[in-house]
Amino acid sequence: MNNSSWTDSPRLDIIIAALIAIVSTTFALAAWRINMVSSNAGDASRQGILNGIKKQAFTNENWRQTYTEASSAETYAVYLAEVDALDASGNPAAVAQAANLRQYLLPNLQLLANPLATDPIYQNPDGTYNLQKRFDALEAASPDLRDLDPQASFQLADRYYAEQRWLTVATVLLAISLFWLALAEISGKRMRLPTLIIGAGVYGVGLVALAVIEVLFYFLRGGVL
Amino acid sequence: MTESNSQSVPQPVNPDRYKSLVVVLTVITTVITAMVAGLGADANIRASIGNRDSQQYALLAAGELHRQGLQSAYDINVFSGYLTDAQEATIMQLTAGQQGSNSQVAADSLLQSTVDQARADTAQKFSVFYTDSRYAPKTSGGTPDMQAYLTDSTAAAKNLVTKQNAAADDYNRWNHKGDTYTSIMAILAVTLFLFGLAQALSPRLRLLFAVFGVIALAAAGFWTILVLVS
Repeated sequence: MNNSSWTDSPRLDIIIAALIAIVSTTFALAAWRINMVSSNAGDASRQGILNGIKKQAFTNENWRQTYTEASSAETYAVYLAEVDALDASGNPAAVAQAANLRQYLLPNLQLLANPLATDPIYQNPDGTYNLQKRFDALEAASPDLRDLDPQASFQLADRYYAEQRWLTVATVLLAISLFWLALAEISGKRMRLPTLIIGAGVYGVGLVALAVIEVLFYFLRGGVL
Repeated sequence: MTESNSQSVPQPVNPDRYKSLVVVLTVITTVITAMVAGLGADANIRASIGNRDSQQYALLAAGELHRQGLQSAYDINVFSGYLTDAQEATIMQLTAGQQGSNSQVAADSLLQSTVDQARADTAQKFSVFYTDSRYAPKTSGGTPDMQAYLTDSTAAAKNLVTKQNAAADDYNRWNHKGDTYTSIMAILAVTLFLFGLAQALSPRLRLLFAVFGVIALAAAGFWTILVLVS
């Protein structure tokens, strides 16, 4: 009897209306947050692409330098072999020619071939040069390049996208909650309370889901909102 | 008589008839709209990732092509230097033989041949066509496997281009799905309009508009399922 009068009372109408207003406001806030997260994901992706372009430009330049040096080093090695052959010939004119080449030409060629032809760390046992090691050294020597990490930006973007997905799922829960609350508003006295409880329960679940998603992804991103 | 009169009096039509039904349909449409919006958001996220990946792979493919061009230029340059020196060494040796064993010209030619051969031997050490077993001649005096070199040197770029194409296809597929979900949401908006209008009309027209709304809702639902499974 008491229960019946309570479900018929205008107070319940006010409670349902207030709940609908709260759920609608939460829905609007969640939609704003989803938009913000989506925007952050786009920004991180864009930053990743920009960093990738810059990094690729550095890498292209480093490969160009590596192969320019490799070409000079190969020329130096070939001339060195020529000078050694002239020296070894025993022919006085050839020996004199070798001495001049060794004194005037080879130092300049060696300068061009620097550091491949001068630094032992780049020299292979067979007399050739380790180009990959030289390229790696050039990459490591570019401080700007070290700071450019497109993958880190892409990873951050992926986490924002994942959060956006889960927030969308949580807002669908809010929409379902609105459905039940609206049913409670129009239901007869028997169905009113159960539908209200279901609506409020789904809203509670949605709200908890929103909070958990926010906290979880906040820590996953290393404290970035 | 009194009984007959009471039977002929028409019952007043309840002006709120079907209102609850329309409200339920409106709320169901709202929930379906929220779900389609969620699916659309997911499709757009996947499209964005595909778009980003395709750009990244395009960038990497361009970089790899640039690197491969530099490497090929270097390899071919070393190889052609080796061939020139090796041929000059042979020609000078031939010239020395033609001049006779005691002449000065023959000795000079022989010296030049020795120098050219030393240069060729050194260049050969730098040439990938002689140091890499994949391309080195299989027999003495044979020629390097240039076709294998060409295939291998473009393999990395081709692989990146394949990935780029796959990512671009992914982008197109999800972008199309996202666009379709937007169209479905437009139909759902029309459905909501029909249900809203139904509430303001007489019971008979209310039912008619509710039926139109249900048809639109069913069409939107069917289209959503089609997009989901495609």
